[in-house]
Amino acid sequence: MKAFRQRRLFSQSVFHIALAVFGFLYMYPFLWMLSGSLKIGSEFLGGGLDLLPQRLMWQNYAEAWKTARFGIYFKNSVFVTVTSTLIIVILTSMAGYALARSNFPGKKLVIGSVLATMFLPRGYTIIPIFELVKHLRLLNTLWAVILVNAATGMVFNTFLFVGYFTTLPPELEEAAIIDGANFPTLYQRIALPLAKPMIGTVVLFEFIDSWNSFFIPLVFTLGRPDLRTVAVGMYAFVGQHSTNWTLMCAAATMSLLPTLILFFLLQRLFVEGVAGSIRG
Amino acid sequence: MNSPQSHLKKHVWSYIFVMPMFVLFLCFTLYPLLASVRYTFYNWDGIGIPKDFVGVTHYVSIAQDLLFWNAFKNTFIYTAVLVPTQLTLALGLAMVLNSRWLRARPVFRAIFFSPVVTSSAIVGIVISLLTSTAGHDVNTMLLRLHLIERPIDWLGNPHTALWIIIVTGVWIGLGYPVIYFLAALQSVEQGLYDAAKVDGAGGFVLFWHITLPLIRPVGLVVLLITVLHSLRVFDIVQVMTRGGPYFATDVVGTYIYRQAFYANEVGGSDANLGFASAAAFFMGLLVMGISALQLAAIRYTAQQRKAG
Repeated sequence: MKAFRQRRLFSQSVFHIALAVFGFLYMYPFLWMLSGSLKIGSEFLGGGLDLLPQRLMWQNYAEAWKTARFGIYFKNSVFVTVTSTLIIVILTSMAGYALARSNFPGKKLVIGSVLATMFLPRGYTIIPIFELVKHLRLLNTLWAVILVNAATGMVFNTFLFVGYFTTLPPELEEAAIIDGANFPTLYQRIALPLAKPMIGTVVLFEFIDSWNSFFIPLVFTLGRPDLRTVAVGMYAFVGQHSTNWTLMCAAATMSLLPTLILFFLLQRLFVEGVAGSIRG
Repeated sequence: MNSPQSHLKKHVWSYIFVMPMFVLFLCFTLYPLLASVRYTFYNWDGIGIPKDFVGVTHYVSIAQDLLFWNAFKNTFIYTAVLVPTQLTLALGLAMVLNSRWLRARPVFRAIFFSPVVTSSAIVGIVISLLTSTAGHDVNTMLLRLHLIERPIDWLGNPHTALWIIIVTGVWIGLGYPVIYFLAALQSVEQGLYDAAKVDGAGGFVLFWHITLPLIRPVGLVVLLITVLHSLRVFDIVQVMTRGGPYFATDVVGTYIYRQAFYANEVGGSDANLGFASAAAFFMGLLVMGISALQLAAIRYTAQQRKAG
């Protein structure tokens, strides 16, 4: 029995080491980027595989922030991401609650048409969207990016909330109804607090999605370089200064930080939420 | 309580709650879907109202355009290689990350999710730096290991570029299926395994007869999502190669983008949104066909299993 346990301990440690090595290789591009962001240009080209820079060049960050205008791009990205995530969470949780809890006439039509679009062949819908935004006089504004980002998040997240709210026991609300609570109160005081894991999941998914979205801001900021988001700014930067590698690494590192931090903060809620939506 | 009036009032609130979502959906999902079909019958550069009606001409030229089929072939290869690789890796990783004896689980979890939370546009740039001849990195390593004789410009070489993009795609997207598999594995009752172990079942038997059947429903959803997602690949290709060299990595996404916005850049005709819309719709039909086949195959195997 003891020999067996020892053998298992041994194979488990081998497993941990193998996983750690694989994890290191997996993370290598990030580590490489991080180290590149702290190197001098010449060292970057000559240094090859050395991950540790000789001297930490924090100036790269300051330079990327100012000369490469990443400060502006960053501000745009934060504004776009926070606003569209808020819009999505509020609107889809409201719609999800109503669709899960009440049997209003026309409910089937709403669910049916939303479902149908998931199966229709997807055209190049950016063109009619572009036209619509033009008619709304929002072209070359950040509101265009926000509105389109938020709108594309409607379908999937509404279904996530419908699934989640359907699994909640209705008894809690019944008690509150007797106390005279109306629909918005039920939603705000009872349903929302119970939906924390789902809210965490949606916030995380949508924050990541909208922070990283590339095509929509690319199209809507073609005429206004000062409205570029970080992802589009990176792309443009590469086009113009394709030789300034260390600066590019610094900019890339900065642009990845917000989503990484948010992920670490919401990690637990997130797995819970996904597990909940699968069970539901 | 149940008077018609309070009933109506409740419904009024329901409408108010659903309305904003539904309006956004109608304006930015349903309407564009229908409108884009109309554009496919016009020659239209995107300025003013489409007037030059050409019928199904665009569809005919697309079906005959070798570059479209080249892009379709590349998209298909990308999907056919990426999906099985990514899902196998994801399931294996999810099982490892779910095992009870694993230490430092949050750390490992975070490591394997990290590419997911990062922008594919930016990651694409990092990978192109990493594999280029100027960065000396992947090349230096392979030279030292004597696997290659001189540095290779991985993304500049038509024979290797698509494969680098596929590897990058697998790496970037791995986290999502891992999350879904992990969540599915966590909902499997541990008691089932314990009972089977008492009956003397080994690791493989446990996997084949308990794990796999129980995560099958989630697995099918993940499969469909991954296939659809990879057929729509755009960001990493646009950032890493823009479809080059010599269209070796041109996917349908970049093909359409070029037609719609930058046709002049590669010496083609002028930007034609009608043509681009037609190409997108044509691809949509092909994708729908592929999804239908996929569903039919899934149903067929399910029936076979029941019969067998």
